[in-house]
Amino acid sequence: MVAEITEQYLKVMYKLTERGGSAKTTDIATEMGIAPASVTEMLHKLASRGYIRHTAYKGAVLTPRGRKIARKIARKHRLLERFLNDVVGVRGTSGHEQACKMEHALSDEAERNLCKILNHPKECPHGRKIPKCDRPITCARCTESHTSLADIGEGDSAVVSHVACESRDELCEMLAMGFVPGCRVKVEKKVPMGGPIIVSFKGTKVAIARERGKILHVTRAF
Amino acid sequence: MEIALAGNPNVGKSIIFSKLTGVGVISSNYPGTTVEYTEGKAKFMNMTISVVDLPGTYSLAGSTDDERVATRLLYERRPETVIAVLDATRLERNLVFLFELIESGYNVVVALNMYDVLRKSKQAIDVERMERILMMPVIPTVATKGEGIDSLLYTSVQLRRFSRFKVRYDSHIEDMISQLEAKLSEEDWELPLRGASIRLLMGDRNVLSKASREVAELSAKLREQFRQSHGEDIVVHVQRDRFGEAGRIAKEVVGSKETARKGPSLMSDLTLRPSTGLPILIGVLAIVFLTLVFFGGFLEGVLKGAYDDTGKLFFDDLALRTNNDVMKGILSGISLSIEAMLELVIPYILVFYIMLSVLEDTGYLVRVVSLLDGVMHRLGLHGRAVIPMVVGFGCNVPAILATRAMGSRRERLILATLITIAVPCSAQTAIIVGSVGKYAGPLWALLIYMILMGTLVVLGIALHKTIKFEPTGLMVEIPDIRLPSVKQTATKTYIRLKEFLTIAFPLLVVGSIVLEILMAENILQKLIGPADPVMMAVFGLPGFTLVGLFFGLLRKEMALQMLFVLAGTSDLAAVLAPDQMFVFALVMAVFMPCLAAFAVMMKEFGIKSSLMVAGASISLALVMGAVANLVLSL
Repeated sequence: MVAEITEQYLKVMYKLTERGGSAKTTDIATEMGIAPASVTEMLHKLASRGYIRHTAYKGAVLTPRGRKIARKIARKHRLLERFLNDVVGVRGTSGHEQACKMEHALSDEAERNLCKILNHPKECPHGRKIPKCDRPITCARCTESHTSLADIGEGDSAVVSHVACESRDELCEMLAMGFVPGCRVKVEKKVPMGGPIIVSFKGTKVAIARERGKILHVTRAF
Repeated sequence: MEIALAGNPNVGKSIIFSKLTGVGVISSNYPGTTVEYTEGKAKFMNMTISVVDLPGTYSLAGSTDDERVATRLLYERRPETVIAVLDATRLERNLVFLFELIESGYNVVVALNMYDVLRKSKQAIDVERMERILMMPVIPTVATKGEGIDSLLYTSVQLRRFSRFKVRYDSHIEDMISQLEAKLSEEDWELPLRGASIRLLMGDRNVLSKASREVAELSAKLREQFRQSHGEDIVVHVQRDRFGEAGRIAKEVVGSKETARKGPSLMSDLTLRPSTGLPILIGVLAIVFLTLVFFGGFLEGVLKGAYDDTGKLFFDDLALRTNNDVMKGILSGISLSIEAMLELVIPYILVFYIMLSVLEDTGYLVRVVSLLDGVMHRLGLHGRAVIPMVVGFGCNVPAILATRAMGSRRERLILATLITIAVPCSAQTAIIVGSVGKYAGPLWALLIYMILMGTLVVLGIALHKTIKFEPTGLMVEIPDIRLPSVKQTATKTYIRLKEFLTIAFPLLVVGSIVLEILMAENILQKLIGPADPVMMAVFGLPGFTLVGLFFGLLRKEMALQMLFVLAGTSDLAAVLAPDQMFVFALVMAVFMPCLAAFAVMMKEFGIKSSLMVAGASISLALVMGAVANLVLSL
């Protein structure tokens, strides 16, 4: 079980890095309303546990492991906000604050049902995207929207919707290779033994490591 | 005048290069990087034109080593013409790179390469229309057959001009471009202001560093503004618009039956499927080894015979005439080095290089990399590491050079260390098989290989853990399987062999002369006495084996012969017990790389890292030897 404070930090960093880039210590401090010094200390702790990568002066980025936890908690938070706003009628900052406390207690089961009751909302009341759930999905509404390239089966096609890179260099590299939003890709083969995914698009074939495939958000196409 | 060849990887740039240029091709590393680029001279009428072959890249704005080198070379050399080599069968994605060249303000001539492949699939490109749209000369070429090369050269020299073609970005971006353009002045920039503005907006560090503070701040502000209103980075939209434009152009110029690209060939698919790919890989490796052993061996015999009758006689004759021991040492040192070159380098390394080049150019190696990437990742390495390792079984020198295919310097260093320590080269194999295998039985020889294999895995994981790095995930375009070109194979092999000779040969000569002088002055033999007790106590080996080890530093392939000479018999069993041979062979197998390999490491990684690797391998070898002795004497 991950400590509440850890979850809180990861969620804030997720919010700050959602649109690319890294989270600066000062931004995290402002967001959480505490002193930058304590943030720095906590970041070191998180880095040593492998949740984030932290570079002095540049800020921190989530590792895949940290990202997984952060997404989940951000999802719960935003679903709860939606719930408090739409169903209960709590408005303004109070909704956000209450959701901040409730998110840590909400079970996965409850989260899924909440998602269903709210009719699979896509955004929180503040206009932020609600991350999709990353469980093996049974719920049809989630499958049709965004998944990552790594989840597409062999022989299936998809359209790239978003390139979620942590670093700018990587983003540029992916784009230069041709993975731009709107481009149609077909998964030719997933090489076993943890090998790369081989996709064909724009008349060529590219082998891309699975880890990197997760960066590519796609919409299934038929 | 100067021409540069630019384009995406695998478009046949190097083949065009080798067709354009004649002899005198040189390959150099861009200072401070491991990126190679080649230069040569082309003859046109009475002019000599230098041609630079840039590393293949997908973009000019990126931050990988290849991209930086390509950008800087273009910037520093200011070539009069840039030939953009485009793959006619993949026009859409190749056009995007062309757009970047145009935006950077170069005089561009397009070589529409692989036109024959396009024709074969019953398609055609409306070249005139393409010229009108892009406002620049477009020459269809078939580099492998030399078609279109002459007119390409003629056009590059005579008809170059600056294209006024522009990619239209969405109105928001265009608006930002003109805002930035207004702040820039022509004099400060060597590239067109529009191009500079676009790169500033994209946050290209190379360009930002040249901008004034005011401009840099404005571009950062605009970038942030864009992200706020569109929720995506501006680079995403810029690239999307470029690909969109490229798609439109491709649709307009490529003849009707487009998109009917024929499916992947059977061969291509088989190499990527583990159930068939692994047997194919083993088969290919077996062919490589067999060719090396038989064809290399055959060449060796021929060359040795030829040398024995000519050069060797000459040197022996000279040596007989002098009475000076030192002079004799020098002469026989030179003679031995030439012999080693003829018997080792030419047959094995030349043959190996030719095969390596063929495997690369057919596009097979990329498939092997994709196939094994997952497995190698567990060892902390890339799929690409397979190739240098295989090469290492032949000779460590080309293996270390082959590590260039790896991404980062760290990965290269890890791999080079693993190869020098745990992959036995052919000379080390000769020692293992010739001593332990012959006298103690093949099982013991196999045990040494098992120990080496274990060392490889343990060391790999240990290095992976200590030298912290995240292996960058693989992303590589898989080219179609195609026939290699003879000319390009020859050029490539020539460049590599030259590189090898210039590093290894001088060292070999010096090393051999030093050794011969030491022998002639009986200095080595004097070491035997005092070394005896130490060697006996630690390794259980007689003193004269130390000289064998010492010799192994310089010339591994000679170590066994030295042992015979020093022991005074060619029957090793008479002087060494099987246990002792085992220890000796094990130490030799792990022991420091030979001088030539060390020199290559120094060139590639610098003296500090090379000394560290050498130190590590020597101490590891000694420790392993001592432990083996301890275990065996129990």
